[in-house]
Amino acid sequence: MRNLGKLAVLGITALGLALAGPQDNSLVIGASQEPRVLAGDFLNVISNQAIKSEIEQYLFAPLIGFDANSQNFPVLATEVPTLENGRLRVRDIGGGKKRLEMDLTIRPDARWSDGKPITTEDVAFYYEVGKAKGMPVPNPDYWERVQLRVRDARNFTVIFEPAYYYDTYGGPYGSPIGYAPKHIMGPEWEKVKAAARNLDPQKDAERLNELYRNFFIKFSTPQALNRGAMVYSGPFMLRRWVPGNSVEMVRNPNFPIKPEGGESKYVQKVVYRFIQNTNSLLVAVIGGSIDAPSSVSLTFDQGRSPQLVRRAPGRFDIWFVPGAIWEHIDVNKFENCQVVKDLGLNDKRPRQAILHALNREGLVKAFFDGLQPVAHTWIAPVNPLFNPNVRKYEFNPKKAEALLAEMGWRKGPDGILQRTVGGRTVRFEIEFVTTAGNAIRERTQQFFAEDLKKIGIAVKINNAPSAVVFADDFTQRASECKWTGMFMFAWVSTLAEDGSLFQYKNLNTGAILVPTKENNYQGQNIGGWRNDEFDRLTSQAVLEFDENRRKQLFARAQEIWAEELPALPLYFRANPYVVRQGLVNYVSSAYSGGYGYPGWNAWEIGWASRGAVKKWDQAKYALSTR
Amino acid sequence: MFAYTVRRLLQMIPLLFAASVVIYALLALQPGDPLDELRRQNPRMTAEQFEALKRAYGLDQPLHIRYFKWLNRALRGDLGYSRTYGIPAAEYVFVQRLPKTLILSGLALTLALVVAIPVGVFSAVRQYSLADYAITFLSFVGFSMPVFFLGILLLYLFAIVLPESIPGFPRFPTGGVPGVLWEDVRAGAVSLWEFLGQWAWHLVLPVLTLSALQMAEWTRFMRASLLEVLSQDYIRTARAKGLAERVVLYKHALRNALIPIVTLVGLAIPGVLGGATITETIFSYPGMGRAIFDALVEKDYNVAMAALAFLALMTALFNLLADLAYAVVDPRIRYS
Repeated sequence: MRNLGKLAVLGITALGLALAGPQDNSLVIGASQEPRVLAGDFLNVISNQAIKSEIEQYLFAPLIGFDANSQNFPVLATEVPTLENGRLRVRDIGGGKKRLEMDLTIRPDARWSDGKPITTEDVAFYYEVGKAKGMPVPNPDYWERVQLRVRDARNFTVIFEPAYYYDTYGGPYGSPIGYAPKHIMGPEWEKVKAAARNLDPQKDAERLNELYRNFFIKFSTPQALNRGAMVYSGPFMLRRWVPGNSVEMVRNPNFPIKPEGGESKYVQKVVYRFIQNTNSLLVAVIGGSIDAPSSVSLTFDQGRSPQLVRRAPGRFDIWFVPGAIWEHIDVNKFENCQVVKDLGLNDKRPRQAILHALNREGLVKAFFDGLQPVAHTWIAPVNPLFNPNVRKYEFNPKKAEALLAEMGWRKGPDGILQRTVGGRTVRFEIEFVTTAGNAIRERTQQFFAEDLKKIGIAVKINNAPSAVVFADDFTQRASECKWTGMFMFAWVSTLAEDGSLFQYKNLNTGAILVPTKENNYQGQNIGGWRNDEFDRLTSQAVLEFDENRRKQLFARAQEIWAEELPALPLYFRANPYVVRQGLVNYVSSAYSGGYGYPGWNAWEIGWASRGAVKKWDQAKYALSTR
Repeated sequence: MFAYTVRRLLQMIPLLFAASVVIYALLALQPGDPLDELRRQNPRMTAEQFEALKRAYGLDQPLHIRYFKWLNRALRGDLGYSRTYGIPAAEYVFVQRLPKTLILSGLALTLALVVAIPVGVFSAVRQYSLADYAITFLSFVGFSMPVFFLGILLLYLFAIVLPESIPGFPRFPTGGVPGVLWEDVRAGAVSLWEFLGQWAWHLVLPVLTLSALQMAEWTRFMRASLLEVLSQDYIRTARAKGLAERVVLYKHALRNALIPIVTLVGLAIPGVLGGATITETIFSYPGMGRAIFDALVEKDYNVAMAALAFLALMTALFNLLADLAYAVVDPRIRYS
């Protein structure tokens, strides 16, 4: 009887928990990061944290958005500019350069949360601030290429010169076409302009920086936002921000897009709860006080923790959304380094041999339950430019040994391969660098070291904290043999793919992208690969506004890449999402919203039990442990 | 004593100067640059654009120029702006973070003292009794339990296991600060008691976690110190005079036994101001420890400088105070 009573109470508490979100039609999202600023910092001058961009999806609607299928769709614009509807015009301007004009029209019912209409004045204000002298924007390349032409209160044209294909993506991402509330921020901006009038962007760069940052801060701190210093254009408005605790947002009645069945059937309040320690966050998720996680939340391992999985049935769905973060091993190919020359790493064969020797399928199965699939090129499979038909390197130690034998490598007395180079006997001992303290990478490294040992390659592990290995005087100095073998880390494979990670030279700008002393160590092709055809294909592809032709060019570039293997592809990371059952349209994919966060369609998020209609199915974009 | 104090205060000037040089140099010489991250995120940034950004953040200047610029401003009370928060570093460190740390660490310190002194005394007076053994055992447990383990253990117990298995057991918060603002109290939306209650509720687990180690340590110290005093001749004399045991213990023994504790506490206070990075991390508590740690990781130099220079000052100051307090509590010590 006593047990029965206990069970009943337990059942009631469990039920209470299960209904917490639907009960008052609210949504509590758990995040392990708290934004430093929100809203007013519209150029990301103060902060470009992921969590800031994610929350701002609720507060500001883009003119053009990105859905879970990586497709553009109009939000506050009337339609997406395309070549077909004539809103997109591309012109050759000589010298292999293109000029792009893009016509946009603001929805007639687009309004700020205070009821004022959103007009081209707000767009012009955004561009005026962004183009102000000495503005420390994090994306200066965009601001140098973009111009605005206002046609009337609702119509304007954005011009890119020189233009690249990804400028047509619009949205908050890549080449953002933004706007900011002039009626709120304008008067303060006039004061800033007056103060900046006699300052020189060369000499007074620091002073200008402080002036501008002070301007953004007035509209973006918790204190300012709690005072109501800002207005919003998204489906939600910020009501309260308690630093160290939460941000609370409520529906914006002025948001023009109404979800199916009326907005009362959808979530009325969204609370971002900040718990920095992911273990404590996991405790909160298990405890039932969190309905869904942010993209900056639990780690991959925590998403599979037995304490969570055991309690999941009937309460949560656990999704693993394959993302765009590409784990790989770059290889030093600078033959001026003695070790590189001895091992022949500038030849594709040892690189191919190593990849054949790495049991990537085994790794993915053993460590990730197959939830982070093996990668074959550097472009994410969800990117439209991805080519699935490239050469693949299955786990095959025999092939690896054969390739190495071709180059004269024979097993030595200690079981390690050796060969004679210029009269010297060298052993196949390769340096392996990764970020110390990253448990998954260190585990992977151990796993691969064993694999390599089996074919007679000795591994010399040389790990250091990320601040050390990612410092300019390490990553960028393969040409000076600061690292001489393999370097395991990750890049983000963006939708605005331009091949620059592996270009020797960008033929459009003339920039050399292999970091050496001559170019002041610029560029991300840190291993020093050079393939002129790859450069030509990718440089041409970014100027190609016809999607099919662009795909062909990138497909060929990926074939070359997979054959030559300048880097060893491992896998694309997946993000775990533990979502309370019954929540609909809280969906993320690798590029949803542009960055891959949930919340890009905030107005459609709701509880099925409150009448929200499911439009997007997470199952389509994710793997699950079930 | 006055001359001594003045002399010590004057000696602090070169000390603090040297400390600030060392801290600044260590910060600036750590590998990497605050803007590296930005460049990694945006491969399309050209060298010139990157240089312009460096200029905007004053990072194009050599180290010693940067230091003197900082010192020049700092001496006029301007500690610069936080690069990551955008607000003045002084406001971030002293207004947003320091008070929160004072509450958490101060409460933990007080709790540790309030428990450790009587328990230590009790343990010493009942030396080798069962209670003494039990206290000794618990002290060693507290002493050897890593904070990160204790914290997560308490969280798992009080936020999941106990509420799930005992009906009606309150579910403790998983960390952070309560969702009520001081403005709410001023606006009358929340009563003062509600506000304080919420804070107390959120502070239970972190304070317990943070005080455990010190509680155990000081219990041992108190016990050892009192035992030593109790074996002194003057205690025997006091007892021989026929004084009541209570008077012997509290008037003659305890006052002397507290002298080393005063030093310990004096030296622990700068640690209190520095926050408790691990406890703050586990409980997502926005205190000084996290602030300094984050500033170091993100290379937010102005914040790290403000916080660390302040700590250096406090360490020097409380060292002096501990020395002075020593003279007050121990009549044998005189400074001239």
